[in-house]
Amino acid sequence: MAAARFLAAALLLLAAGGCGRGQPAAAAAAEPSFPVLTGRVVDRADLLAPGDEAKLTQASAAVERETGHQFVVVTLASLDGYKIEDYAVRLGRHWGIGRKGVDDGVILIVAPRERKVRIEVGYGLEKRVTDPFAAKVIRERMVPAFQKGHLAEGIVAGSDAVVDRLRSKASDAQIRALDGVVT
Amino acid sequence: MNRTRFATLMLVPVAAASLSGCGVNSIPTAEENAKAKWADVQAAYQRRANLIPNLVATVKGAATSEQNILVGVTEARANATRVTLSGDQIGDPAAMARFAAAQNQVTLSLQRLQEAYPQLQSQGNFKTLMDQLEGTENRINIGIRDYNQAVQSYNTTIRTFPAVIGAKVFYGAKPMAPYQATTPNAEVAPTVSFDTNTSR
Repeated sequence: MAAARFLAAALLLLAAGGCGRGQPAAAAAAEPSFPVLTGRVVDRADLLAPGDEAKLTQASAAVERETGHQFVVVTLASLDGYKIEDYAVRLGRHWGIGRKGVDDGVILIVAPRERKVRIEVGYGLEKRVTDPFAAKVIRERMVPAFQKGHLAEGIVAGSDAVVDRLRSKASDAQIRALDGVVT
Repeated sequence: MNRTRFATLMLVPVAAASLSGCGVNSIPTAEENAKAKWADVQAAYQRRANLIPNLVATVKGAATSEQNILVGVTEARANATRVTLSGDQIGDPAAMARFAAAQNQVTLSLQRLQEAYPQLQSQGNFKTLMDQLEGTENRINIGIRDYNQAVQSYNTTIRTFPAVIGAKVFYGAKPMAPYQATTPNAEVAPTVSFDTNTSR
């Protein structure tokens, strides 16, 4: 009887024993302190006038309605010592930008304090917003405005270029040729 | 009395289901996850390898090229392409180190290439390729981090109750090796032949 009760207790322990899902606490490595996803434009560095913000929000909403792709603009007060490439990927995952399983989110991220800018693209959109395209938008549309101190102007120009590309009806092959993609 | 026994009997399938649900099945799940993440790492390295012939051709066409550096890149790439690592070898630290060393030579040779041709940086075609190279290197870094996290998760799973029972009894599961992109002797010059007469 006592043995049976012990067995029952042991089995109950096993049954209830937190299996988790093989996700130990250790796997959650140090993360930066991310801003809250308050909308399609998260202007933590306060670079955008309300009018710009409204315009960008509208463009992002329209492109999601048309294509399903999610596009978020974020400005940061600080990168918390992280490289922008690293920060951007973590932020995109943290926020869960893009549809699950499609991974078709894009984040345009500007960190004025560190003077860094990046267009981070989910795996599902790499064939549309290609590396050379993103680099070119930053180099030719954003950085020149930033250098003149026109931060909002650069952000709007970069966002417009990304939104246009998300809307593009060109085939993947045409985009490859257009952007000079090799891999 | 009867009720107690009944309760005990009821608990057996519950416990068994819970064991198979997380304890035992979590091991192959974690293992497959790590292998999938490793496949991503290799795919990113493969993309880099695919870029290199175009990069070399562009440099050759645009500049009075320094033969040594171009040969160095090409040979490092050829060597790295030969050193492959299947999903089943990812528990093998020595095989991982060989793979990392070969890829690291490619990284170093590409750095030399960039440093050697500052005048090419503004040339359109070269710039486009460098943008892609940078993107690829970034994907490699993300892939490695995701893989190492998956390995850590797997290694913890096989050591943690109750999965540890399944790990010992059913699978003989061994810990997997994390991937270190920079090998201890990473700064050592590559052992490639700069002799342009040999056709290797």
